Amino acid sequence: MNWRLGFVVTAAACAVLPLVVPQHSLTILVEALILGLFAMSLDLLVGYCRLYSFGHAAAYGLGAYSYALILTYVPLPLPVGILLAVAVTILIAIPIAWICTRSTGVSFAMLTLAFAQLGYAMLFRFRDVTGGSDGLVGIPRHPGPLGIDWFQSKLGYYYLVLVCLLGSYLLCRAIVRSPFGAVLAGIRENEPKTIALGYNTRAYKITTVVLAYGFGGLAGALYAAFAGFASPELFFWLTSGRVLIMVIVGGAGTLIGPILGGVSFVFLEHQLSQVTDLWPLIFGTIFMAFVMFAPQGIWGILTSRFRSKPAAPNSDSGKEAPGAAT
Amino acid sequence: MPLLECRGLTRRFGALVAVDGFDLTVEPGEIRAVIGPNGAGKSTVFNLITSVLKPSAGQVIFAGEDVTGLPVHQVAQKGIARTFQLCHIFPALTVRENVRMAAQAREGRRWQFLGGGGVLSRSATAADEAMARMRLTRMADATAAMLSHGDQRLLEIAMAIAQKPRLLMLDEPTQGLSIEETGRAVQILKDMLAAGDLSVLLVEHDMEVVFKLADNITVLHRGRVIADGAPAAVRASAEVRSAYLGGAQ
Amino acid sequence: MNWFGFILAQCLNALSQASILFFIACGLTLIFGIMRIVNFAHGVIFMLGAYVGYTANVVTGSFLVSLVVAPVVVGLVGMAFERTLLRHLYGRRDGGAYLLLTFGLAVVLSEVIRLIWGVQPLGTGIPDFLRGVVIILDQPFPLYRLFLIGLGVAAAIAIWQFLERARPGLLIRAVSQNSEMVHALGTDVDMVRTAVFGFGCALAAVGGVLAAPLVTAFLGMGTSVVIDAFVIVIIGGMGSFLGSIIGSVLVAFVQVMGAYYFQDLALALMYLLMLLVLIIRPGGLLGKED
Repeated sequence: MNWRLGFVVTAAACAVLPLVVPQHSLTILVEALILGLFAMSLDLLVGYCRLYSFGHAAAYGLGAYSYALILTYVPLPLPVGILLAVAVTILIAIPIAWICTRSTGVSFAMLTLAFAQLGYAMLFRFRDVTGGSDGLVGIPRHPGPLGIDWFQSKLGYYYLVLVCLLGSYLLCRAIVRSPFGAVLAGIRENEPKTIALGYNTRAYKITTVVLAYGFGGLAGALYAAFAGFASPELFFWLTSGRVLIMVIVGGAGTLIGPILGGVSFVFLEHQLSQVTDLWPLIFGTIFMAFVMFAPQGIWGILTSRFRSKPAAPNSDSGKEAPGAAT
Repeated sequence: MPLLECRGLTRRFGALVAVDGFDLTVEPGEIRAVIGPNGAGKSTVFNLITSVLKPSAGQVIFAGEDVTGLPVHQVAQKGIARTFQLCHIFPALTVRENVRMAAQAREGRRWQFLGGGGVLSRSATAADEAMARMRLTRMADATAAMLSHGDQRLLEIAMAIAQKPRLLMLDEPTQGLSIEETGRAVQILKDMLAAGDLSVLLVEHDMEVVFKLADNITVLHRGRVIADGAPAAVRASAEVRSAYLGGAQ
Repeated sequence: MNWFGFILAQCLNALSQASILFFIACGLTLIFGIMRIVNFAHGVIFMLGAYVGYTANVVTGSFLVSLVVAPVVVGLVGMAFERTLLRHLYGRRDGGAYLLLTFGLAVVLSEVIRLIWGVQPLGTGIPDFLRGVVIILDQPFPLYRLFLIGLGVAAAIAIWQFLERARPGLLIRAVSQNSEMVHALGTDVDMVRTAVFGFGCALAAVGGVLAAPLVTAFLGMGTSVVIDAFVIVIIGGMGSFLGSIIGSVLVAFVQVMGAYYFQDLALALMYLLMLLVLIIRPGGLLGKED
């Protein structure tokens, strides 16, 4: 499968999609893309480093609340507000990354969870600023700079999110196929050996956590600007859980799998929640089934059918990063 | 100036003294073997030199620089490549990628996020060279986990070579290798040494390999050096004999 | 105000809290000792215990009966989970699978609880025969909390003796240290694992039943608890029974003192404590390494 062709076709399909579906589906489409981006950000950690974060909601919540709070005080144009929110998220992510990467495995997972819970607690502690359990409502999005306002409409916003998602995907893909990405594969496969080769794996892990937070924060900021509100639920452990499920079921370590996982999750959730109250239970069960029997996820299964031999580094013939697992 | 110098290296585990006042030098271009009965502390010495274990006392000087207790990756960056007793490779990656990872470690710009095509192709070329040396080229695209134990060991050595080290530390490299594979490895090492600019420190049980390769031998017994010198002298030493035969107290 | 009495009251408060924490942490550490995994679902198991206990209490009208029924039911659930699902992951190179599976269990159990019992907090309050206060040094102290302390101490001694003296207890310790050897000697190690996992869950359920009269059974009570339990096990040492006692007492004191002096931050205090512990000792303080 020629990757470039696949990408162009998918991008074109996504561009055309909102024009052929009913107007009321547009909201779901936007949310789906945002969740897809959020899930992909976690894949950097889970799929490429095998660092299981149980607190990635923190990235999402930080992005959302950063945008919301900034916009409460300064009426910045949307793109600027979002960029600033991402910058804030990244800044806060650095000490978090430094602390969490001191440990591995369960301890890492617990630390990430603890930070997310800490964020959750802080929202209630400083409820004057953050609105506590009510959250922040009426978050605006302003046109600009230079009077650009095509993203003010729902359709326009869809294209904004699509551009962000596609751009982030390209960026992440380039990262995992770069020398940096190869080291991540080494960390995933045999960290002691990677260190013995002379790589400072701690620094690589910190960087990856920060990157993951950055992209997750972008998703959060896009969400806050779209929905117009931010609530503590964004930091809740179940939010972290859901995105982890999306990554695993979608296919960890493929970037595409988690995006699909996120997108499908939103659609399924929307459809199923109208029919039954049991859908979280169903998702949880499906998740456990995948963990046990199909850890490579849906996309992993699909692509292993088409993959004949692992691609050489830097070639586009496969969906492989230089160090992606065969 | 010696390339590597160990001065009074000591390592205690509680009451057990695993290595006691270990002295050793490796000159540029030298092959030195460290031998000794099981439990003598050979792997511990390796771990102390590469900083996987921090010494209780003593120093490690590499190329005139005190590297004692530096983080493991920094010691490796100084120019020391090492193999492990329990074969350490990247099982899920291809053979080529395994070696390329090692070669990439020498690149200055390996932090590159984007592009990095130059780094990737240079390290791929270096990997191809190392694989060719170890006669692994035909297996380049195989998953490392699929290789036989012997080939995995050779892969590990290829990775060490690809790091273009100044000091190559091999921890029982021929363990589990067939006679043919052992002979192959020995010849390759000899060729590399002839090409120059490489020193080797090796731990080995196979005495034939030791006497074929080593310029000098250090004998360890119960954490202490009991003999140090050319192979002939060591072979003749009464102390060494009794250590191996278990008579020594 | 009698200053000494106040301190005593705070200490007893902390000890009663420690008691509940001990049941949870002990279960978690036993499971880790035997299986080398951290049961991420442990908090939700605790929650399940609270809810099952509530129902048992309502149905039979007896708190003591619920104190027996809930651990049994939850223990069986735990055993079923281990037998059918967890077991399949042994021998997998990727340690993350355990993490994910127990996490999945947490999600699923949470939902099941929500579906069965609804979103409203449930509670019957402190049982009648344990209501009231006891005057200690001029300070009134709730009888229920004394009961908690007593029960905790009794359980700690019982489990300790069980592990030290009773044959099954020795077996458990043996499997913790060297399961292959024990297996070679003819014991069904799988069964020991299942039993211990069930026992660990049962202990957490006891904690839930005991906690419910104080905080009611509510959704989400498991999340902070699992972090607390993890902190305790880290402090006390993964797999160390004694460590779970020490850790529980330590954490309880921090929580009680913290809630008193840093009210607003009480919620955050636990997380800060864990961060501190893991920053200082990424692998834990005592006992076996992660």
